[in-house]
Amino acid sequence: MAYRVDDDYDYLFKVVLIGDAGVGKSNLLSRFTRNEFSLESKSTIGVEFATRSTRVEEKVVKAQIWDTAGQERYRAITSAYYRGAVGALLVYDITRHVTFESMERWLKELREHTNSNVIVMLVGNKADLRHLRAVSTEDAKAFAEKESTFFMETSALESTNVEDAFIEVLTQIHSVMSKKALNVGDDPMALPKGQTISVGSKDDVSVVKKSGCC
Amino acid sequence: MGFLLFCFMADENGEMGFLRIPRLVSSEKKKGKIGVMMRKNRGKEREDEKPRAGQIHLDASGGEDPLWWWRGRDIREVEFGLEVAVAGGIWQWHADLAAEVTIDESVEAIQHLHRQSCLFFSCLVVDSLAIASRVCFVPSYRSWYSQITMGNKEKKPGAFSTVLNSLFTADGKLRDGIDPSIRADVWPFLLGVYDLNSTELERNAVRVRKRKEYENLRRQCRLLSNHCCQGSALVTLDRIYSEVFHNLNEDSCSPKGFEGDNARFSLFMESNGYDNRPVYDRTPDSGSCYSDGEDEEDYSGIIDLDTFLAETGYSESPKEVLRRVAGLDPKLINCGSLRTGVSNCTVEDFATWQRIIRLDAIRADGDLVIHSPNKAGISEEVAKRYAKVVGLKDYDHLDPYMTYHASRLVALLEAYAIYDPEIGYCQGMSDLLSPILAVMSNDYEAFWCFVGFMRKARHNFRLDEFGIRRQLAIVSRIIRSKDAHLYRHLENLQAEDCFFVYRMVVVLFRRELTFEQTTCLWEVLWADQAAIRAGIGRSVRGGKTRLRAPPTDDLLLYAIAACVLQRRKLIIERYKSMDEIIKECNNMAGQLDVWRLLDDAHDLVVTLHGKI
Repeated sequence: MAYRVDDDYDYLFKVVLIGDAGVGKSNLLSRFTRNEFSLESKSTIGVEFATRSTRVEEKVVKAQIWDTAGQERYRAITSAYYRGAVGALLVYDITRHVTFESMERWLKELREHTNSNVIVMLVGNKADLRHLRAVSTEDAKAFAEKESTFFMETSALESTNVEDAFIEVLTQIHSVMSKKALNVGDDPMALPKGQTISVGSKDDVSVVKKSGCC
Repeated sequence: MGFLLFCFMADENGEMGFLRIPRLVSSEKKKGKIGVMMRKNRGKEREDEKPRAGQIHLDASGGEDPLWWWRGRDIREVEFGLEVAVAGGIWQWHADLAAEVTIDESVEAIQHLHRQSCLFFSCLVVDSLAIASRVCFVPSYRSWYSQITMGNKEKKPGAFSTVLNSLFTADGKLRDGIDPSIRADVWPFLLGVYDLNSTELERNAVRVRKRKEYENLRRQCRLLSNHCCQGSALVTLDRIYSEVFHNLNEDSCSPKGFEGDNARFSLFMESNGYDNRPVYDRTPDSGSCYSDGEDEEDYSGIIDLDTFLAETGYSESPKEVLRRVAGLDPKLINCGSLRTGVSNCTVEDFATWQRIIRLDAIRADGDLVIHSPNKAGISEEVAKRYAKVVGLKDYDHLDPYMTYHASRLVALLEAYAIYDPEIGYCQGMSDLLSPILAVMSNDYEAFWCFVGFMRKARHNFRLDEFGIRRQLAIVSRIIRSKDAHLYRHLENLQAEDCFFVYRMVVVLFRRELTFEQTTCLWEVLWADQAAIRAGIGRSVRGGKTRLRAPPTDDLLLYAIAACVLQRRKLIIERYKSMDEIIKECNNMAGQLDVWRLLDDAHDLVVTLHGKI
């Protein structure tokens, strides 16, 4: 069954996409998981998710990416889905400064609901709209440094850096996990804590089957 | 005043079904009030007034209200009456056979028939002046759904066959739902803008008032926009809200504290013939802010309100205008951010709402374009003008009609945010308004339809999430009561809170269904709510109603539960985590049969309505 094939992965990483309404979270997701983009993609109500399996350092990683509603109003329901996330993309729109200003709030909220090891990447989306830029790369970099997050500017429309941003987050998660795994012992199963097992591994990893987009 | 009643039955395949009532045979046995009606009808009938085939002419005796019988019935009686009407229709249809048809002990037969047939019922009231129109609202099978049509001067008895034909689709299939051509007439009734029992005169009065109120709200939007742009003095929204309504209540035509501008405003409007003609004497579009602009040849002097304000308002300081229009004490105009003032748990303000409204407006669903009656009449120039008036940007990817549609969305959603500042704007509301705008070409009427829709739907958008949690809890209870096995499985997956149907609750299946399906579903939901408002089903009594389901405010939730229950096998056998159920629910678009959903929902209501 196709349904089964999708389960052939070494690790499942849960990653959340957060940021103000209209910054392009859903399009980043659709670009990464389906290579699609739409100017008319509708607002996300509550949460949605999509998955994509990819290879990270010889392991098949299934990224389960949760796309959340951006409006403040939906914060209570969306934050419930932060639980168990090991990575997060904090998205703002480079043409609207107010969405960048919200980053601090989003970061605070993320840290309240997730483990401190969560890998965070600040993402300045809509980089194709150069002529409308309202947030300088320097400011964003400075913020990212201050908050110890990764940073990248992307364009879901032009498909610039989208793949790189996600892969970077997944690679970093994997690397943190591997380090921790060495410390804990050799048992990756020991890693996830809490009720929702989001970073898991298959018992049978001897045969790594073909990975790909789901 | 005559009362034309026509009805027919058909089964699911569109086969006319009136010959399928073999047990409705001639009998002198009469039952209660129905018998009275039948006798009355026949007693009044004169040879020269014999109705033509397909029509029943029920004369109101002695100038009595022709709808007397239908009013204030409890649900059992209404159904009964409906069936009798059908029987009567058959009788009349076969008048030549001189068969006297009435009902005897065949209630079960009718109920049986009811279950396997879809029944359309239309009534058309035409008075001799051919102006007054009334709507008789009767719930029927298909979740108490009724076909309502209004009489007006266009719909003379001669148009009977047209109306009848409108019940069929182009390929001859019996249509489910309200015929698209009469939606704009019917929705204001379904959504409680006009009372079902109102007269044309009363409705005209409501129209005038509602238009003023809407215009007033737009005026506030305009002023607040200017404030937000300039970042200067601002007032609390609820203060404006109370002021506006205080003024409206006092005198809807000339709000207190508005005299200075009001004189100019009225003068301006009057000089352009804007406000002179009685409402009923206008074309349906002429009261609309935007539609006015598109018909400049006909109403050359009329401009829309926003343009007017844009042209006149900018010359003054917003503070002055605001003070004058809203009648505000200058002390109340404070510097700083505009807060809702409702609670301090929100950081959302009007400027935020405006920003998100514009974001959502330009990504409205394209599928409704083909359904909109005025899609062709929007030139690029007109569309751009409207966009400019409401401050819409980034619409280059939209065609003129969608730009126009997006601009209307902005105008109405902003007005709503002021009308209902506790809710303001929340993403998802544009999904609810969009189909209304596609159907209603008149802005203020569309606005009040939306307000009617939001009366119930607004609870989903509350900041405290009380409404949405309550609704999800009901879905959960329905599933638990109906299917303990499935419920246990959900519990094992920690999904018994039913959060996976969140989106369906919030936007009422809009994301899962096409425009046409959505409107059919919503009309049924609205019909139930209208039935409740009209007091139908309040006093259910006796065993006769056992098999029936009363109209319910929560039909949507039953439909959502039905939708989950339809997938019980898949969920129980295949899904091992809540994530998978969420995914399933988020990917239902294009997979739902709206009438099957409603049938299942109806069955759930029948079995569970007393228990939930």
